[in-house]
Amino acid sequence: MAKNYDCVHILQGLLVFGNVVIGMCGIALTAECIYFVSNPHDLYPLLKATENSDIYTSAWIGIFVGLALFALSILGIIGVIKASRTLLLVYIILMLTTFAFEMASCITAATHQDSLTPGLFLKQMLERYQKSEPANNSDNVVTKTWDELMLQNHCCGVLGPSDWQEYTSAFRRMHSDADYPWPRMCCVLDAQGLPINLDGCKLGVSGYYNSNGCYDTISGPVNTHAWGVAWFGFAILCWTFCVLLGTMFYWSRIEY
Amino acid sequence: MLPLLLLLVPAAHGIARLAYTPALTKEPSLGGQKTASTFVLDQPRCVFDKYGNADIWLVVALDSAASTFNNTERPGTPETAFQNFPDPVHAYMTLNTTLINYPCSNPAGDITVLRVGSETSCAQDVTRPTCNGPLPGPGPYRVKFLALEGSVPVAETGWSLPITLKEAKSPDTISTTRSGHSAGMIAITTILSILFAILLAGLVAMLVFWSSDSCSGSSTFSKPESVTVRRYNTHHVYDQPAARL
Repeated sequence: MAKNYDCVHILQGLLVFGNVVIGMCGIALTAECIYFVSNPHDLYPLLKATENSDIYTSAWIGIFVGLALFALSILGIIGVIKASRTLLLVYIILMLTTFAFEMASCITAATHQDSLTPGLFLKQMLERYQKSEPANNSDNVVTKTWDELMLQNHCCGVLGPSDWQEYTSAFRRMHSDADYPWPRMCCVLDAQGLPINLDGCKLGVSGYYNSNGCYDTISGPVNTHAWGVAWFGFAILCWTFCVLLGTMFYWSRIEY
Repeated sequence: MLPLLLLLVPAAHGIARLAYTPALTKEPSLGGQKTASTFVLDQPRCVFDKYGNADIWLVVALDSAASTFNNTERPGTPETAFQNFPDPVHAYMTLNTTLINYPCSNPAGDITVLRVGSETSCAQDVTRPTCNGPLPGPGPYRVKFLALEGSVPVAETGWSLPITLKEAKSPDTISTTRSGHSAGMIAITTILSILFAILLAGLVAMLVFWSSDSCSGSSTFSKPESVTVRRYNTHHVYDQPAARL
C-alpha cells in the first residue's frame, strides 16, 4: 500500500507540475497574442490589402485560448489534489475543446504564412503602386507603405528592380520606361530626397540605385508573427497532450 | 590614263571599314543595360582616331533593314528621322558627336557609355529628326557608327549583333499560390491531428471505463478522505474467568 501511495503522490505531483506549466504558458500565449494584435507592424497595410487576415484571426483565438488554458490549469490542479472524478472529467472535456481551438489557430497561422508568397506581394505592388485613379484609400496606403519600405530598407520592388521591367504595371502606365525604368524611390537618395545621380540610377549603376528586392524585409516580421502564434501554440499543445494523457490515466485509477 | 583615273575615283569615295563592332556595355554590369525602350552601348573610344574632322553618328536600324542601309543617307532628313521610325523609316541616325567626346584615354572610375533612347522630350518633335528617342518596340535592332565629313561618309564600324529589348508581361501571369504546402504546415497539421485523435480515443475509453465498472477493483488507490483505519483489537480486554480462580 505504501508503494501505491508513493506512486499516487508522484503522479499527482507530476500532474500538478504539468498544470502549472500549462497555466504559465497560457498566460504567455495571451500576452504574446495581445502584443501581436495591438501592435501591428509597419507592413500591416500590405497584409491588409491582400484581404487575407487569417494571421490576426489566429492571434485573436490565441488570446482566448491562453486565458482558457490558465483557468483550466487551476481547475486541473484542484481536481488532481482532491482526486474528484467529476472535476477531472469536466477538466478533460474542456481541455479537449481548448485543444481543438488552439489546433485550429496554429494550422490557420501556418497556412497563412505559406500563402504570403513573393508572387502575392508582387502582383499587389504592380497593380496598386502609384495607381493613377486609386479605387479606394487602400491603394494610396499601399503606395505610401511601399515608398517608406523602399526608402528605409534601401530595396526596390519585391524581387528587384527588374520587377518593373518584366511586368506591366500601374506605375508603367503613368511613367515612361525611358525616364523611369524603376521608381525614383529605388534610387539612392540624398538628404533632400533627390537621387544623388539620376543618370546613374536610370542606367542601373550599382551604388546609385538599390538592386536588391524587399521580399526579405517583408517576410521577416510576417514570419516572426507566424512562428510566434503557430509554433508556440504547437509546443503548448504537445505539452498539454502529455498532461491530458496523464490525467486520463489518473482519472481511470481513482476509486469511485 | 583614263583607267587609272577610274581606279582612283572609287578609292577617293571609299569608306574605311573599321574593325570595331558596337556592343552592349558589359563592364561595369548595369541593371539598365536593356530596358523595354532603351539600351546601353560602349562608347567607341580609340576607334575614330584618324578622323578628327568627322562627325560620328550612331545608326540604329531594324535587324531586317541593316543590310540594306545606304551609307550615303544624310542625317537630319525625313528619310533618317527618328520620328518616322520604324515605319516608313527603317533606320535612323542620332547621337551626333565629334572625336573630342570619344578620347582615347580611359579615365578610371568614369563610366563611359551611350544610352540609346534616353531623350523623351523630343520623341514627337519633328523639328528634331536626330532625336535619341525611346525605341518603339522590342526590336531586334542593330547599330553601327558612321563618320561623316560634311555629308560624305568616310568611315564606318561593323554592324552590331542583333539587340532585342525586354518585353513586359501582364501581372495576371504571376501565380500567387504556392505549388505545395511547406513542410512546417504539414508537420503541424498531421502531428496535431494525431494527438487530438489519441486524446479523443482516450476520452472515449475513459467513458466506457466509467459506464462498465469492470476495472474499478484492480490496483486502484483510494481517495484521501475515504481512507479508514480499521482498528484491530490485538489484546484480549475481557476478564479471563479462569485467571480469577
